[in-house]
Amino acid sequence: MRFLIYRYNPDDGQKPRMQEYLLDGFGNGDKLLDALLRIKAELDPTLSFRRSCGEGVCGSDAMNINGRNGLACITPLKELGETVEIRPLPGRPVIRDLVVDMEQFYHQYRAVKPWLTVHDPEPETEYLQTPEQRDQLDGLYECILCGCCSTACPSFWWNPDKFRGPAALLQAWRFLADSRDQATGDRLAELEGPYHLFRCHTIMNCADVCPKGLNPTRAIGHIKKLMLKHHV
Amino acid sequence: MSWRGANGLRPWLMQRLSAVYMAGFLLFALGSLAGASSVSFEAWRDWVGQPLVNAAMALFVVALLTHAWVGTRDVLMDYVKPMALRFPLLLLFALIFLISLFWSLRVLFSVAAA
Repeated sequence: MRFLIYRYNPDDGQKPRMQEYLLDGFGNGDKLLDALLRIKAELDPTLSFRRSCGEGVCGSDAMNINGRNGLACITPLKELGETVEIRPLPGRPVIRDLVVDMEQFYHQYRAVKPWLTVHDPEPETEYLQTPEQRDQLDGLYECILCGCCSTACPSFWWNPDKFRGPAALLQAWRFLADSRDQATGDRLAELEGPYHLFRCHTIMNCADVCPKGLNPTRAIGHIKKLMLKHHV
Repeated sequence: MSWRGANGLRPWLMQRLSAVYMAGFLLFALGSLAGASSVSFEAWRDWVGQPLVNAAMALFVVALLTHAWVGTRDVLMDYVKPMALRFPLLLLFALIFLISLFWSLRVLFSVAAA
């Protein structure tokens, strides 16, 4: 197989370039991460990329694979064709090779206060929820913050400093939808204005690329509807 | 209804409401025209001259320009970063849409009055 990989090293004074690696002998179940690890081990130890769990749980090895954001560790090689073009996540500053600076992404995540806020005195035992209330969190809590969605979103490309982005907004809805959370008013007020929430133009790249099959666009729609209800 | 600081929700809502109205009006207009007995300038003018059609069409123009304004504002907010450029452009489009509005209304009311 032929791998074209984006290379950039801030220390060598060269411009970013695409480097070709040829490698064969992959097993039927091998994933793209297996290929990257073999390239690093057998062909070029200077190639840099992030990885950790290797099974789609940690979200470290998000990258742009043949023009589409995804996790290298759960992308089967046999689905990728003879030539595979690998680039860093779009729109983020490149630190080196496939490693990007995700600080703005985390900043937007922190800004939605992704934790339970309860004003009442804490219960003696655990917080109780009905099974139906718990069901509301399905499709939201599974997010692993890999950043595939936000870095595939044109609105996030244009305004990463102001638009919260699909990943953060999915988590904003995860806590708005939580029956135990009591900060609905504050959360909605924080999202008001032209930028934080309303830069979303339902392009739906986020739902298209999410490796966990989640749908941030739908969550954003729920937030808008709830905001409308609160204003009327 | 409180719109204090509602700089995001209100335009979004306006865009949705205007879209729904425009879709409804287009269905009504196409239905009316399909059922028209004759296809001529006079028949068209008589149709537009009916008070209800005239008012509905005026509202359509308002909805269309509101929709266009929200969309234009969004595009300029996304793509034109320098305020020194964005503000004049917003002003220019506001002016174009306002002139279009008054011009269209004048034409519609002249037909209604005739």
